Amino acid sequence: MVSTRTRLFPVLSAGLAVAVLAGCGGGEQVSSDPNAKVTLTFTAYGGAGQDAMIKIYQQPYTVTHANVSFVNTSPPDLSQVKAQVMSKSVKWDLVSVAPAAATQNCGTLFEELDLSSVDPSSLVPGTIGKCYIGNFINANPIAYRTDAFPDPAKAPKTVEDFFDLRKFPGKRGMLTNLQNGILEYPLLADGVAPNQLFPLDIDRSLKKLDTIRDNTLFAPNVGALQQAVGAKQVDMFILPDSRLVPLMNDGTKVTMVWDKTVAAINGFAIPKGSPHKAAAQEFIKTLAGPEQVAGISEALGTAPVNKAAKPDLSDNAKKVEVYGPANTGETVLQDIDWYAKNFDQATTKLSNWLVG
Amino acid sequence: MQAKAKQWLLVLPALALLAAVLLVPLGRSLKLSVAGGSLEHYKSLFTDGVTLTVLARTAATAAVVTLIAVLLGYPYAYLMTRVEPRLRGLLMVIVLVPFWTSVMARNFAWVIILQRGGPVNSFFRLFGWDLVLYQSVAGVAIAMSQVLLPFMVLPLFSALSGIDRRLLLAARGLGSHPVRAFWKVYWPLSRGGVVAGLILVFTLSLGFYVTPALVGAPQQSLVAQLLGQRTTQLLDFEGAGALGMLVLVVTLALVAWANRLGGTISAIGLVAAAPAKGARS
Repeated sequence: MVSTRTRLFPVLSAGLAVAVLAGCGGGEQVSSDPNAKVTLTFTAYGGAGQDAMIKIYQQPYTVTHANVSFVNTSPPDLSQVKAQVMSKSVKWDLVSVAPAAATQNCGTLFEELDLSSVDPSSLVPGTIGKCYIGNFINANPIAYRTDAFPDPAKAPKTVEDFFDLRKFPGKRGMLTNLQNGILEYPLLADGVAPNQLFPLDIDRSLKKLDTIRDNTLFAPNVGALQQAVGAKQVDMFILPDSRLVPLMNDGTKVTMVWDKTVAAINGFAIPKGSPHKAAAQEFIKTLAGPEQVAGISEALGTAPVNKAAKPDLSDNAKKVEVYGPANTGETVLQDIDWYAKNFDQATTKLSNWLVG
Repeated sequence: MQAKAKQWLLVLPALALLAAVLLVPLGRSLKLSVAGGSLEHYKSLFTDGVTLTVLARTAATAAVVTLIAVLLGYPYAYLMTRVEPRLRGLLMVIVLVPFWTSVMARNFAWVIILQRGGPVNSFFRLFGWDLVLYQSVAGVAIAMSQVLLPFMVLPLFSALSGIDRRLLLAARGLGSHPVRAFWKVYWPLSRGGVVAGLILVFTLSLGFYVTPALVGAPQQSLVAQLLGQRTTQLLDFEGAGALGMLVLVVTLALVAWANRLGGTISAIGLVAAAPAKGARS
């Protein structure tokens, strides 16, 4: 019996050692040869959005760069990036991220980018940051289900109306994500002028949100709110353009309230210590190119970050085109620098307000 | 001595797994939460004005869930001890169905049942009451009770089926009223099973994530949602570690306390013995 034991332990410990090594090892060797084969791990929000990115960003790129291939994964949780960087086992090469989050964590969680070869003249201001590149603009117009307010004369028309439960009863829907205007709209409804929004008065904003708290479905992600609109769980809501288009495509009648509309740039970044930093850096530059930007706008209904892009939009995408003729109101672009400096404070205050 | 050592060898794989996936991460979490030797993250749990509210809400919800589960589970388990084996098997299957269904499917089903325009809402509308349980603590408690019912029924069944019914006959023979016989003889003997079920359901409720996240609302977050939010949104791994430790300590204290309430029968021992007893009856 003793012999069994002595034989068993080395086997066990060897097995353990292999497991530990496999867990720690980085995998392929880092190479400086630009033509070496690399597989880039591309992390975005999944669904139709990422499918479009595969078709528009990745497939054409692999044709011109035969040594590059892609692995796709989702969702792009910032906590995952932090965990990977902390444990020094970074698996993602490209990650969809809010520009403010990339800027705030520039050099710590995200690599500094060399985008000197990208021409900024045709790009919307804010498209290029030290640690990110913008790929599209999400507008978050206030909208309502047309069947919930069938009479256009009695339908909501302003940001104030979203917060007026007496005149416009009905369940509200909002995203708890800071990128979707949850802090801006209450201030706009409270009378703050669009050009006076930043620096945001968070406490004032939350006080205004208090007035609709009990009648609002706060969704933690876009999919949940999109689903809630489709299932008639909410009557009036603030949802990004890229989710309004599929809703309309599926036959949900939606009317946009073009008063003041909050929009935010979306971006991509490279996690600090990405195993294929050089190749990722080459690829990330292409995301703001006119063809890529036009392609994504056509596929998702988002607004272009590149003014040279000439997307051929579908009828439903035209209805949410924030820089197009449909928008008869004002557009407010989120201040990336303010968010980069106040991201933690804003997130903490909002989260505490939400769960309290 | 030799035989003992060999028995330990059998436990080794399970212990190694537990150490690797439970103890090591737990230790790291603890280390993070006291980073720099400061208890600041623990202090802020009590001073941030939010954590205690959420903890109280979670405990209240868990208490309601446990109460519903024991009220539904006790008669059910009792019935299971009284019917013929074939019917008992069927009752067992019915209670185990939630186990076999995907967590997501079950919770989304509850969303559909409880949401606006769903069957529950439509029913209450018949009486002019536009009650929507989706995104409410009440809805979460109902859904959790269904999900956790097996954890009440199984230990109860194993305890109840071990009770010698001739004791009840003896009580009746000595002139006791049936209710009194139940209360004086049957109930004390079943108490170990009740405590086991209470502990299981209550502690599982404390850490429930999927049901409150899907059926509930962020405005009424439970502690697991708070943990998720602190890690995924605030990137506050230290604060989340402290919160996790607090919940763990509270849970362990509750288990220890309830275990003593169980009297001579150890609740945990009873759960461990459940399958063997169930098979014998």
